[in-house]
Amino acid sequence: MILPYLIIIPLLGAFSMPIVSLLGRRAREAWALLISGATLAVAVQVFRDVWNRGTIVYTLGAKSPFGMANFPIRIVWEVDKLGAIMVVIVAFVSFLAVLYSLEYMAHDTGLEKFYTLILILELGMLGIAITGDIFNFYVFLEIMSIASYALVAFRNDTWEAIEAGIKYMFVGSLASSFVLLGIALLYGQYGTLTMAYLAIKMAENPTIVAKVALALFLGGLLFKSGASPVHMWLADAHPAAPSSISAMLSGLVIKVGGIYAIARIIFSVFSPAVNLTTVGWIIIIFACITLIVGNAMAVIQTDMKRLLAYSSVGQIGYILLGLGIGLAAYGTKVGEIALAGAIYHTVNHALMKALLFLVAGAVIHELGTRNLNELSGLAKSMPKTTFAFLIGAAAIVGLPPLNGFASKWLIYESSALFNPVLGAIAIIGTAFCTAAYVRVLFTFFGKPSEKVIEAKEPGPAMLIPMFILVATIIIMGILPWQISEKFMIPAARALWDVFGYVAALMGVG
Amino acid sequence: MIWELLALLGIYAYVSIASLLYAGIDRKLVARMQRRIGPPILQPFYDFLKLASKETIVPNTANFMFKASPILMLATTIALLAYTPIGFKPLFATKGDIIVFIYLLTLADFFLVLGAISSGNPYAKVGASREIALLASREPAMMLGVFTVMWALSKHGVEKPFSLANLYEHNIWEFGPMAWVGGAVLIYVFMTWLASEVEAGFFNVPEAEQEIAEGPLVEYSGRYLAIIKLAESLKEFIAASLVVAILFPWGIEMPGLEGYVVNLLIHTAKVFAVLFVAKTVFRAVTGRLRVTEAVNLLWTRVFSASLVASLIIAMGVVM
Repeated sequence: MILPYLIIIPLLGAFSMPIVSLLGRRAREAWALLISGATLAVAVQVFRDVWNRGTIVYTLGAKSPFGMANFPIRIVWEVDKLGAIMVVIVAFVSFLAVLYSLEYMAHDTGLEKFYTLILILELGMLGIAITGDIFNFYVFLEIMSIASYALVAFRNDTWEAIEAGIKYMFVGSLASSFVLLGIALLYGQYGTLTMAYLAIKMAENPTIVAKVALALFLGGLLFKSGASPVHMWLADAHPAAPSSISAMLSGLVIKVGGIYAIARIIFSVFSPAVNLTTVGWIIIIFACITLIVGNAMAVIQTDMKRLLAYSSVGQIGYILLGLGIGLAAYGTKVGEIALAGAIYHTVNHALMKALLFLVAGAVIHELGTRNLNELSGLAKSMPKTTFAFLIGAAAIVGLPPLNGFASKWLIYESSALFNPVLGAIAIIGTAFCTAAYVRVLFTFFGKPSEKVIEAKEPGPAMLIPMFILVATIIIMGILPWQISEKFMIPAARALWDVFGYVAALMGVG
Repeated sequence: MIWELLALLGIYAYVSIASLLYAGIDRKLVARMQRRIGPPILQPFYDFLKLASKETIVPNTANFMFKASPILMLATTIALLAYTPIGFKPLFATKGDIIVFIYLLTLADFFLVLGAISSGNPYAKVGASREIALLASREPAMMLGVFTVMWALSKHGVEKPFSLANLYEHNIWEFGPMAWVGGAVLIYVFMTWLASEVEAGFFNVPEAEQEIAEGPLVEYSGRYLAIIKLAESLKEFIAASLVVAILFPWGIEMPGLEGYVVNLLIHTAKVFAVLFVAKTVFRAVTGRLRVTEAVNLLWTRVFSASLVASLIIAMGVVM
């Protein structure tokens, strides 16, 4: 059983980092790289296991979660196809972020804490993706959140990092406490914390308490995903964080801690007991607001990372739209396409937004500014970086030879079939998104300004992660429908299949 | 696969010659309209060869896209040829290929714009922003018209809905008097769209020699200019082909290879006729509009006409 190593390895890496750091800078960097690389290898293996042999259920401390009882009493981890996809993407982007940090963070101090935190962040996200226990989920959510508060405020000699960190921490803790309150209510009502078993109990006896808990979960988790009325922390936190962290925050944290958690809790816990159409429409409404607000705000930004942060909000809108339609059209072909599109877009957006933030980091690292008005003509002095940005921007807008096209297409298609108004809103969002990125491209390809002309390309440790992402985006863009058929649609089906999820747990005993 | 690639090469060669030839005819006709002799009809070929042999100068403010975009632009147009209806079904006709067509047509312009701003010349930048403004204003009218026609055709139970191949199975004139009215409005829409696509007459805004010294092309010289000129003239032929295929798709039934050749020749004649109206006459009799006026015209006159035409056709189809 390889699954526990997904937690053991980053935990070991994080906890031993202060000791390894005593050996010096080189040892610390090598250790961080080794740990995240090993985690990636384990993640790939877990993914293959899940794909070949179906859902993995792992019980902590015993062979079976049941003990002497006929209900699960131990913490279980349950990885289905969607979980496996999240595991791989988390480990992949985290590895690249660590690799990138080697050069990017070289001028900062306190790096043993930085690498500890980055590994803990990865650990928290992996935990969320694999857990099948709702309190365990909360613990991992908090591990992830607290690590990200600390990382946002990591450069604590700058005022904006502290400001953004405080903002993120205050509202983030509130959101987490909603989730905790929801768990407390569910536990009080149903007396179990295992997700799959909770689904059974809830189907037997749907109560108002379950609905209140669902509302609390949705409130808390929509916050974590940066959905629109509560996206304000994101627009501050992502620009203020070091860029490798922004790449992880924007590419992973809002997806795993937000989108994935929402999908998992609604589908695997609540779907037998609540009216999915209502929940779906609630999410769709948030999705439409998020789409428009996020993308429209991206158009008017002059700060490069802030633009990317708002664009992340906008892209979360697409993912939520797919998820909402997947709920509201549960059991139909349209819903399946929408959900597959949402999962696909989650993966794609993780890759391209990570790329774009890494590019932004390279620009900041070389030029010390992220004001777009000062970055005119970057293509002259930093052609490779600009090329990476061009690919990332084209992918996020959804141009056909790149990966963003297929995932957005699935979302457009399903939303147009489900309700043409939603399709129109999605298109309007894309129009804004295009405007935002075309503006940046115009700046980058314009006449070189005096500040830009002396810039150089960053070193290999920063360029290699960027180009790995570029290559991934292009390769995924060449095989869009194959990936969709082979991975995303089965993942969407697995997520819909609550009985399968429950049976996988109960079948262990 | 290999035959399709060979066919694409053949079409590329044919369309390059035909489109440059039309450029020569166009110049000759405009000259005659103004009581001049005009250049020989093969002048565009001489121009092309001369440009290709000239020294190519790259400004020192230019970045890598300056050199890459002419090639990308030409590559996009060649790829576009595989999706263009030219008297017979497009080579790579498939379900929904109309979107690829529109995308590639727009992308070619976008590469030109990217190349222009990459030169670092402020005139090129002005031209590029005009090009984008015009691009964003003219395409919606065309898209609306094309999608309506495609939707109407798909009501006939075609095999691959929203493919340009459908245009040779059915056409909008089969839908009765209601659609004829709509089709007549669509002729106006598509002709104006074509004029703005080839940037003739009113719409010679981005390149406006007298105002902004050739705009996007100001820094291009030698080989790159030759490539861009060729790509632009291919694009002209392609845009006119779309108009012809949507509005006047009639050909003759003839089996075998000579059927393709004959239909291609008929199509070319129709393209020349359409271009004669939308380009030659239009540019001989009208002057340039200001950029705001051109954008305004496209949104108020052309887009609304397209909307009206679409509604009429839709009513004709539904009823």
